[in-house]
Amino acid sequence: MPQPLNSKDQALFRQVVRNFELKQYKKGIKTADQVLRKNPNHGDTQAMKALIMSHLGQLEEAFVLAKEALRNDMKSHICWHVYGLLYRQEKNYEEAIKAYRFALRLEPESQPIQRDLALLQAQMRDFQGYIQSRSAMLQARPGFRQNWTALAIAHHLSGDLEEAEKVLTTYEDTLKGTPAVADMEHSEACLYKNMIIAETGNLERALEHLEKVGYRCTDVLAVMEMKADYLLRLGRKSEAEEAYAALLDRNPENSVYYNGLIQAKGIPEGDHKALKALYDDWVEKNPRGDAARRIPLDFLEGDDFKQAADAYLQRMLKKGVPSLFANIKLLYSNPTKRDAVQTLVEGYVSGKSGSQQNGSAEGKDEFLASSYYFLAQHYNYHLSRNLPKAMENVDKAIELSPKTVEYQMTKARVWKHYGNSVKAAEEMEKARLLDEKDRYINSKAAKYQLRNNENDKALENMSKFTRNETVGGAMGDLHEMQCTWYLTEDGEAYLRQKKLGLALKRFHGVYNIFDTWQEDQFDFHSFSLRKGMIRAYVDMVRWEDRLREHPFYTRVALSAIKAYLLLNDQPDLAHGPTGLGVNGDAQDDAERKKALKKAKKEQQRLEKIEADKREARKAAAANAKTVDGEVKKEDTDPLGNDLVQTKDPLNDAMKFLTPLLALNSQNVEAQCLGFEVYIRRNKHLLALKCLSAAYAIDPSNPTLHLQLLRFRKTLDNLPEPLPAPSAEVVKAEFEKLLPKSQKLEEWNESFHTTNKDSVAHVQAALSARQLLNPDSKSQCEKDLLATLDSPQITMDEAAIAIDLLNKWGSDNTAYLQKANQKWPESSVFQLN
Amino acid sequence: MVDIVPLSSYPSYIDLLPSIQTCNITNLPENYFLKYYLYHALTWPQLSFVAVVRPKNGYKSGLGVGGAGAAGDISGQYPKVVGYVLAKMEEEPSDGLQHGHITSLSVMRTHRRLGIAERLMRMSQLAMAESHRANYVSLHVRVSNTAALRLYRDTLGFEVEKVESKYYADGEDAYAMHLNLQKHWLDWKAIEKRDRENEKAEGKGEDDENADEGDEVGELGKKEDGKTGEKMMKVKVGRGLGVGDLVERNESQQS
Repeated sequence: MPQPLNSKDQALFRQVVRNFELKQYKKGIKTADQVLRKNPNHGDTQAMKALIMSHLGQLEEAFVLAKEALRNDMKSHICWHVYGLLYRQEKNYEEAIKAYRFALRLEPESQPIQRDLALLQAQMRDFQGYIQSRSAMLQARPGFRQNWTALAIAHHLSGDLEEAEKVLTTYEDTLKGTPAVADMEHSEACLYKNMIIAETGNLERALEHLEKVGYRCTDVLAVMEMKADYLLRLGRKSEAEEAYAALLDRNPENSVYYNGLIQAKGIPEGDHKALKALYDDWVEKNPRGDAARRIPLDFLEGDDFKQAADAYLQRMLKKGVPSLFANIKLLYSNPTKRDAVQTLVEGYVSGKSGSQQNGSAEGKDEFLASSYYFLAQHYNYHLSRNLPKAMENVDKAIELSPKTVEYQMTKARVWKHYGNSVKAAEEMEKARLLDEKDRYINSKAAKYQLRNNENDKALENMSKFTRNETVGGAMGDLHEMQCTWYLTEDGEAYLRQKKLGLALKRFHGVYNIFDTWQEDQFDFHSFSLRKGMIRAYVDMVRWEDRLREHPFYTRVALSAIKAYLLLNDQPDLAHGPTGLGVNGDAQDDAERKKALKKAKKEQQRLEKIEADKREARKAAAANAKTVDGEVKKEDTDPLGNDLVQTKDPLNDAMKFLTPLLALNSQNVEAQCLGFEVYIRRNKHLLALKCLSAAYAIDPSNPTLHLQLLRFRKTLDNLPEPLPAPSAEVVKAEFEKLLPKSQKLEEWNESFHTTNKDSVAHVQAALSARQLLNPDSKSQCEKDLLATLDSPQITMDEAAIAIDLLNKWGSDNTAYLQKANQKWPESSVFQLN
Repeated sequence: MVDIVPLSSYPSYIDLLPSIQTCNITNLPENYFLKYYLYHALTWPQLSFVAVVRPKNGYKSGLGVGGAGAAGDISGQYPKVVGYVLAKMEEEPSDGLQHGHITSLSVMRTHRRLGIAERLMRMSQLAMAESHRANYVSLHVRVSNTAALRLYRDTLGFEVEKVESKYYADGEDAYAMHLNLQKHWLDWKAIEKRDRENEKAEGKGEDDENADEGDEVGELGKKEDGKTGEKMMKVKVGRGLGVGDLVERNESQQS
């Protein structure tokens, strides 16, 4: 049972609370100890002390004390509240909610407990619970507008638009007179209500409401956009036209507004004359803009196109706009336009065209250099590639203007397309040296070094712009600043080198950043209500729910899953790259053991280096005071050895796979990798689900083709039959993808013939043939070699072919030789 | 082709935030947590703008909730971000004048000389004046950054207010610049006149007193019955900023 405190100790206890609120943590602990000396079992004091400890980074100890506090005083809402707060700090939100609920039962009138519970419910998307909490909070304090808004949000997010609107209206009805224009909370609440009405689909009413409140909302652009969109969707064409014209007056550089205007005017897609006239109007109104000049190139044809393109290109080349090619290349999917552009710009550099170059010699040189630069990018682009010409042009540009970073950058890119990552990185480094204060070119140089697997050099470059005194040095800063692109590239470079520990370390680094981004919304559940910017808040909540749909996540997840699959298939890689073949199979066991021993030794060496570095930093940190007094923990596993020495790589892969499949189900590569994980885990139903999904996206996908065959083989050779219910489903579903009656050889050869022009498909068919008939190996090797004669084959595909040969246990010399002849500049097909 | 779009308007393009952050850390030495971008987007949603590369076939239309964005909707399509302006209102103006501030502006090197930065700035300036009645907008620029200086001073009309010595972490000085925005203010008198007309038409609004119930926005900073409220902390400038310090409450045990 709780012991009551005497009045002096009660005062001390209140001081502990105050100390905590003022963040005087050390004082708070001291004061708490003073109380506890006389009242060692005082639960509330113990709880407060635990809470303070948790803020001093002693979460574990805090939990022990908080549990003791609860034992001493089960009926104390303070103890339960603290218990919940500790769980919240640990991000165990479900347990935290439970603890808050206990606390609230003991103290139903407590606003702070109610509020903490509500925030967690919002975070956990427990909208029914959130509605309850918010209703209670509104009842307790109906005088605050934000309590009304909060309840409306709760209903809105739970999907009850009608109730949400009703709550907002009820509050509005209590207003006497119209609030001041300066009252932004009111202005936003009006637009929020309008957003809700629009979401009901009743645009007539939304428009009517907007007309009523819009004139006094100070977010002018939002009102204009809403109005234009409603009008267009309602088919009120002439008003929509006016609305989009008004938007364009404000911002002529937004193609969406032109689309709206054209739809409103009802100009048919094929009426190029009318379209061109419309855009010309806006060029006149806004002569310095780009959009109205550029967009017509998308639809104009023949001589009209040539004329417009000529004017556009010359204008931009004279200005020396570096993004000109990036702006133009989208037209190249149309070969006629591509060739027309090439003819025009080749004309400019040969001086034969009608390019009216008068003016200074300097201006002429700049125009010429820009044109060479354009041509270099043109011949470097995959739809118009001619690498020798690209190199020739970029060299001419550099000759005219040796200090221009962009030209030197393009030279590096040409080398990249030659497949020579070594030269590419070198040339990009030269570009960096031309402007060492520019971080953009620094980032590019680092990226090219990573593509060349030079992780240390790349980090050295990055460190010129990072805060290197951060815990963990430059790499620590890149994590802290959430530099996802670098971590992903770095990890992928390690993956290529089969340094799986470091690769996984980086991939998990990015994973954790996404976790942080999800966590970031927490504070806004209360903050945004205070600020009153509700539409942005609701948009954020919805965005957070699909956060991992972002391409940054997709990419890192795919790479991480590949790393785990590799680790699963070649467990020796847990000790670092062994230098053995793709299958990890060496000639004999002794060789394998030797390689493994070497790898382990290297691993230990690296660990020692890291440990030494850590010690050195610790010593340095002891001397220097931390800037903001925050205690940051040193990473105890900088090499990712803990990650790579997992007992269950496939289970770890699920962490990346689950969100990927949930939010990116239309990604065929994700489905195929999902199959690889599930089939290895003997989850036949889930593996099949991935196959079906991949089939729905692209039935003739080459990876899928081979996987279908492997699945058939797996089903045919099960050590014991699948349990009855799932066996039925598997049979029925798989029948749709690859019928049991299908003769597999025929099926495969037909796939081969149908897709004989695609190297990836041929490779898949050959692998399938190998699987069906191991005796076909020498024929397969020959056929694979022949794909090098295909005009379509890319270097990436050839590199995959080498992996295939290794997998088949074939000699790859002939292939390497031929590839080397085909791409002599490439660093991929070097013979040893 | 580059489109200039609002970060959080209608429909919302808030899902561009990670790409904006990447644009920033690729271009500039001054970087921020994503939460700091969120803080801008959620506190002053009208003020920040993004430059994105239009995809080959344009944007799909009507992807927003209930088909919003009929003319084309960027959200969920993740176009490449090549520039952004991140802006805010000064929360505690030392001169007592409501004004805007440019937290960060950058355009990818590959997309310069297209007037993107100018367009981003103009959009933000207009919104500052309209939405927040900003008297002026302020910003800092490296004294060595001649291109930016040309944009701010010559193109946009900013004036150098003073030099701030060693403003940047690497020791470089900054020009503190500002530009008056009052010419963009909305005509509040006209709005209020329309309010009165509307009220008359609806037969209310006879009260002299405009009872504004919403003046105490929030429970923050209020102490009631010994209960603890919340404290707002000042934001740190530069690193380590995030909303954490700004909005974290001190949990009260005295319920």
